[in-house]
Amino acid sequence: MRMLRAGRIGFLFLLACACVLAAVEIVHPGRATRASGLPEYVTSGVFTPAHPTASAALKDFLDLHPEHPVQPIAYTHTVHLAKGLPCTFCHVGVDQGPEARIPGVKVCMSCHQTIATDRPEIKKIAAYQARGEEIPWVRVYNYSESAHVRFNHAPHIRAGVDCAACHSDLTKQTTAERKVNLNMGYCLSCHTQKKVSIDCETCHY
Amino acid sequence: MSHKWGLVVDLDRCTGCEACVVACHAENNIPTAGEEQAARGRAKHWIRVERYWEGDFPNPRVRFQPVLCQQCDEAPCEPVCPTYASYHTPEGLNSQVYNRCIGTRFCANACPYNVRFFNYYNPQWDKPLQLQLNPDVSVRTVGIMEKCTFCVQRIKAAEIQAEADKRELKDGEFTTACAQSCASSALVFGDLNDPASQVARLANSNRGTKLLGELGTKPNVTYLERGTWEDATNG
Amino acid sequence: MERRDFIKISAITGAVATLGGCRSAENQLIRFVPEEDLIPGLATSKPSVCTLCSAGCGLLVRVMQGEAEVVRRGQQGLIKMGLAKKLEGNPQHPVNQGKLCARGQAGLQVLYHPDRITHPIQRTGPRGSNEFREISWDDALKQLAVHLTTLKASGSEKSLGFLSRPLSGQRHELIERFLKAYGAPPAIWYQPFDEAVLREANLRSFGHSQLPTFDLARADYLIAFGADYLGTWNSPVAQSIGYGAMRQGRAGRRAKFVQVESRMSQTGANADEWIPCRPGTEGVLALGIAHVILSEKLAPQNAESRAGSLIAGWSRGLPDYTPEAVEKQTGVPAATIKRLAHEMTKTGAATALIGGPPLAHSNGMFNALAVNALESLIDQGPEPIRTFTPELTEASKVENTSDIQSWSALPPQLLLLYDANPVFSAPPAWRVRETLAKIPTIVSFGSFIDETSAHADLILPDHAPLESWLDSVPESGSSRAVVSLAPPAVLPLHDTRPMPDVLLGLGHQLGGDVAKALPWATYDAMLRAAYLPLRGRAGSIDAKTDDDFWDALQSQGGWWSAPSPAQPAAAQKQAPMAQTSPEFAGAAGEFPYHFLPYLSQSFGDGSVTHLPWLQELPDVLTSAMWSSWVEIHPQTGARLGIQPGDLVEIASQQGSIRAAAVLSPGIAPDMVAMPVGQGHENFGRFASGRGTNPISILVQQGVGESAALAWAATRVKLSRAGGPEQAKLLLFAGGMSGFPHEQERR
Repeated sequence: MRMLRAGRIGFLFLLACACVLAAVEIVHPGRATRASGLPEYVTSGVFTPAHPTASAALKDFLDLHPEHPVQPIAYTHTVHLAKGLPCTFCHVGVDQGPEARIPGVKVCMSCHQTIATDRPEIKKIAAYQARGEEIPWVRVYNYSESAHVRFNHAPHIRAGVDCAACHSDLTKQTTAERKVNLNMGYCLSCHTQKKVSIDCETCHY
Repeated sequence: MSHKWGLVVDLDRCTGCEACVVACHAENNIPTAGEEQAARGRAKHWIRVERYWEGDFPNPRVRFQPVLCQQCDEAPCEPVCPTYASYHTPEGLNSQVYNRCIGTRFCANACPYNVRFFNYYNPQWDKPLQLQLNPDVSVRTVGIMEKCTFCVQRIKAAEIQAEADKRELKDGEFTTACAQSCASSALVFGDLNDPASQVARLANSNRGTKLLGELGTKPNVTYLERGTWEDATNG
Repeated sequence: MERRDFIKISAITGAVATLGGCRSAENQLIRFVPEEDLIPGLATSKPSVCTLCSAGCGLLVRVMQGEAEVVRRGQQGLIKMGLAKKLEGNPQHPVNQGKLCARGQAGLQVLYHPDRITHPIQRTGPRGSNEFREISWDDALKQLAVHLTTLKASGSEKSLGFLSRPLSGQRHELIERFLKAYGAPPAIWYQPFDEAVLREANLRSFGHSQLPTFDLARADYLIAFGADYLGTWNSPVAQSIGYGAMRQGRAGRRAKFVQVESRMSQTGANADEWIPCRPGTEGVLALGIAHVILSEKLAPQNAESRAGSLIAGWSRGLPDYTPEAVEKQTGVPAATIKRLAHEMTKTGAATALIGGPPLAHSNGMFNALAVNALESLIDQGPEPIRTFTPELTEASKVENTSDIQSWSALPPQLLLLYDANPVFSAPPAWRVRETLAKIPTIVSFGSFIDETSAHADLILPDHAPLESWLDSVPESGSSRAVVSLAPPAVLPLHDTRPMPDVLLGLGHQLGGDVAKALPWATYDAMLRAAYLPLRGRAGSIDAKTDDDFWDALQSQGGWWSAPSPAQPAAAQKQAPMAQTSPEFAGAAGEFPYHFLPYLSQSFGDGSVTHLPWLQELPDVLTSAMWSSWVEIHPQTGARLGIQPGDLVEIASQQGSIRAAAVLSPGIAPDMVAMPVGQGHENFGRFASGRGTNPISILVQQGVGESAALAWAATRVKLSRAGGPEQAKLLLFAGGMSGFPHEQERR
């Protein structure tokens, strides 16, 4: 009896796996024969919006994301904001276009080639730059890909929306934390309050 | 007054060059189906140029006709969508909300113009072709319907910029990818609610017709009939 | 452990392992520091130049930041860089005025093509086997330098050959200077289906060895003989702009357009009146019309007409070209000829043009001179519709020698190859493959492996055009003298180097005369030196200093002169040409059909068929994608038992090919037509092994005494060779209809 139940569970489980894997099905368009003899390491492979793994697909579907991802450098917003740095010093372009740029290592080093150079974290940054590498920051804020939502920072900044409204109080954060639940309801609550368009096409196109 | 986006297709100017077709692919991240999938009828051309042959040699005639989503005021694709993914925006566009779409394909079935395309599989680009993808446009995944949006990303960008500059949108300030590339200026895009706009003027032309207008779809695309030699006053 | 427990545990661990998922490969790549400072999400617009045909249209490239996989210092990684997202026409450019054709739009895929050669490579297997290995730039340049110095040292400078597609601007200049200073013969500028005949005819008729420019926006009547001027001929975008204006750009005035050709082309489909004419007799038809105009005095008789004097019998009113006589030769009714003559002289401004198949017959020169004579008769106003773009400088002449055949007798010992593919696009009679086999060393600068560069021993890949300093001097398309010039729109993606800089570096290394002839370190320095003198001329840039002028040149995408009045050509005494009839290759009995290989927008001469957007673009007349086909008249199909989509064998004296049949009313019953461009055997993943190459059955036939190929002169026979499953013709039928194989569904 126990074996039958285990078998049924196993079968259903495999079926579920098959369904999830089907969600990441990739179909090859056209031929993929390369002129032989050319090394493949840079331009081999394909790009697809399909999720790379079943777990990634599941996480995207359930909108699971880490609240406070570990970053390669122990950056502290508290310290920098306390020194009076405006957000836009690093996050250039947030009032001009859709994205708030994560600063490159050059921006960090523009101050830190002279400031606090003895700290181990600063030394790590200097090492990255010396190697000609960017710091591999882990992305904190993003929308689920399947939401197909196109958020544009600039109109919000121009309308006077405070960064903290969506990114919570950064004077109390070291590396960025996702404290605010940025679901569609949150966007709509502010949009309806401020009497801004809630037409679907405002954000989803 | 709010905008109402429309397009005019002047069949007397259209040369059948299909620059509009390729421009649309480039602007809107339309995946290339490849031979195998195209053979299954899955190639996606949001705008296509149809050709109609009449007569026989030595007097054959061909008429070219670009066909795209007509952004109908009475769109047959809107009432049939069970999830309200196909709906009409306040600015007169028939919008496809990708995240609502569950892929029933009722809308494609209902569309008399045959301008809706379904993603039967997750699209794929051989690297590094994907570097060309437009970041302002969604990359559609499997199970989603897509069609011409009148380059809504350009409309939005222009509206946001005009708002930032605290001014009205000017006619000709921006246009769709297809109209921008059209060498003979057969495609004209603009605000039908702006009486001074080129598109409003052309849409009122006495050469104007609607494609399958008898079905009552009330398209926002107006076709200007091709002229004949006898039409010219210097005949 | 119990067996069932073991199974349960392994199932669960297996499932967990799947769900765990490894970190994607991208997370393990290092991120390089960007080489430019861009704000993500914001686009900049950079000028550039389109290089996909000779029209030389100006571009604006939309550049946005993105992340690309690259190799830097031998290490794989990711880098944020400006990426080209969309091409548009440059609104300021006088040739294309903000517009861009289908091929120009697709040019964006050249830059990010997956089959681009990404670093220097050296051949390891036999030629044509595609077996190469990666080498460093130092190694590659050293090898090439050694080849060049060895050749010079042994006194064999004349054995250096350079084969390239025609280039205008300073690239042309650079290559010619290099070769001349080195002591080598001039380069061979190879272009299949070139316009050498028309240039020569224009030189004789109008004094300009140049393709003509037409101000169609002012025209009231246009009669075109064979030229696909809205698709592929001459300057299609400029001509299309004029076409739109001539149709609906002026209130109350609409020009009439008459197309004379033997197969309905994309251009001909737009004609008010389409007149089929027997192949090779277009010149006779033009003279028939001219006869009526002259005999009924419908236009001022220009006794001094230079173009007219080139036709035997012109001054006597062309007695041999009565409408009845012309009807017999051309198949065009005499009444039509008379009516056309009256129409085109009663309207305001009229013009005539010729190009394409009529010039590709053995009597192509006669056809060209005849149409030129007609044109000069009907376009006599003070501001003619047909003009010639003013020459920029003396050095901006375009040469067009396709004399690649001279090499088979005396092949070079070292061949430098740049963007030319004669193995694919030259007729078999030219024996290009055999000639290449005789050349000991071949070095290519191209970006792709194709049928010709597959024979290279060494490949030093050039940047993509959008990564390069570009300049071009359009030969036609504007009434102003134009230079299109632009700096690179994006940084290089791969480990490639610009061909001009490589040549300059080699020249410097060779020293002596070559170094003296090319004193610049980089190509942009050469461009600056070449174009700074334009600052003194009235034109689109008003600059106070040389630096300001150079900056403005780059930001505007070029320089164009102030409009200048057209200069009529001086009358000249030349020997008139008697009528010549077309000669066809193949006896009419055995080969009953005329064979027309034609250039199309999507395929061109085959050099753009590796672009997937163009493969998937439905042919505008047949809706075919990813395919080759042959157009035959329904009567022909009925007679030979050929249904739509069937496989047809087309055989000439030279050989035979097979393609799917398309039944078309737009072609004469004794003619078949096939687009050029497919049938590559070695040109990347999208073009290889696809379709058929009609050039492979063309019989060698010259246009008169010239080296130009009469590519419309081959005759063929047809037979059914199989059904649709073998022919595999793919048609586009719209959104969701799933029956692409039914040809009736259009």
